[in-house]
Amino acid sequence: MSERFTWLRQAAAFAVLLIAWEAAGRAQLLNPLFMPSPSQIGAALVDLFGSGSIWPHLEATFTAALGGLAVGIAVGILLGVIAALVPFLGELIAPVMTVLNGIPRVILAPLFVIWLGIGLASKVALAFILVAVLIFFAVFGGIRQADRRLVERIITLGGTRWSLVQHVYLPSVTAWVLGSLKVAVGFAFTGAVVGEFVAATRGLGYLLSFAQSTYNSALMFALIFLILVVVLAIFWIAGRLERYLLRWS
Amino acid sequence: MSLRVSNLSLSYGGGEPVLENASIAVGEGQFVSLVGPSGSGKSSLLRAVIGLQAPLAGTVETGLDPSEVGILFQDDALLPWKTARENVALGLTFHGVPRREALTKADGWLERLGLAGFGGRFPRHLSGGQRKRVALAQVLALHPKLLLMDEPFSSLDAIVRARVVQDVAALVERERISVLLVTHDLEEAISLSDNVYLLSQGPRARITHDYPVPIPRPRDPVRARMDPAFAPLYDKLWTDLSHEVDRVHAEAAA
Repeated sequence: MSERFTWLRQAAAFAVLLIAWEAAGRAQLLNPLFMPSPSQIGAALVDLFGSGSIWPHLEATFTAALGGLAVGIAVGILLGVIAALVPFLGELIAPVMTVLNGIPRVILAPLFVIWLGIGLASKVALAFILVAVLIFFAVFGGIRQADRRLVERIITLGGTRWSLVQHVYLPSVTAWVLGSLKVAVGFAFTGAVVGEFVAATRGLGYLLSFAQSTYNSALMFALIFLILVVVLAIFWIAGRLERYLLRWS
Repeated sequence: MSLRVSNLSLSYGGGEPVLENASIAVGEGQFVSLVGPSGSGKSSLLRAVIGLQAPLAGTVETGLDPSEVGILFQDDALLPWKTARENVALGLTFHGVPRREALTKADGWLERLGLAGFGGRFPRHLSGGQRKRVALAQVLALHPKLLLMDEPFSSLDAIVRARVVQDVAALVERERISVLLVTHDLEEAISLSDNVYLLSQGPRARITHDYPVPIPRPRDPVRARMDPAFAPLYDKLWTDLSHEVDRVHAEAAA
């Protein structure tokens, strides 16, 4: 079978699944309390956007996720570079990061709520801590394994320490960060939504929690679908960026 | 004299010397090869000459500015995120040539090495032979007076290798660049060199012989193999190298 039509076969299979799902719902085979039909989920989505009530929630989640992502990447790179190039500080930073990497960092969510309140800050903090640890290890590991041959090549061509940073370390760091970018985006949204789930007055996570407490499963499915679409869209953008910046690889 | 290595001893990271008491001379415009088995410290000797490794004992004199000594490693080690021309221009910009001018010069070198039109490609999109030529252009663009080569052709297949070796030989002959080539390929050493040094098996490898190559210049390294002087010299080197390897095996067995 031609690979060109893979997406077509995938789309067809998905359509068949949706139709079967819808048919089972209409035949009363599925309890709508647990498993609403696709049309009911669609209606919930239309209602969310039609009434405009979704926008403040989307805005809250996006702000938290993208804010946490940006700060997390910046701090992750900074700490990674420092830990890799200054061994004395690396000894102090690396074990902390290893511990943070080992635990499920979402357990910090309630703590951030106590420290930072139920507003935006606690969500940004959770997205940040998820992303920063990931990026730290990408950069820290990357610099320590920087290709020795490239370093020697730069030195033998007459390059200085700054040339090394400019031509070997920075491009390498860019590559490693971009390599983890998709995972980082996923982490950022996880942090934002989980933070809202724990305690918030706005955001997709808050709406999910609301849907749960009111047994509104159509709304819940609609929100899961919405988060899926948002993250896939950002994956696509990250993928394009990665392909452009890593066009040499 | 372009390079004089006197009584040099080297180790891998401070242990037992891998190479001991080695003395080598490379005259101006001379092509000299250093042949030896793996683990005889050949690569370390080049690293010591270029200052990447400190010797245990002995001295290295070049009478040249460090910028006039170039090295071509076994692997290409081109920067994967820079195009061929940017890679070639790199060394020039380190020496203060403005970027635009460096890129123009890089194009010239790529053209001279048969890579006209390939300057915009990233290393990943070049063949092994093309990458080798880019690495060569990168070093030659700095106009070295002494070129060190560490088995630079070993990764290439036979035909590409013969072509690259021909081009290198012609270039260094024309530009009167002194060369110290490290290799374990006897044919390559004889066909290219004015003088061949033979190293014994390490650790504590020593230079055991030194053979002048009486094949006249200018010389095509592929056709040099058909010179009447080639076969007898090859035979002599091979016999000496075999004896050396046998001796080490006998000592190890005893």
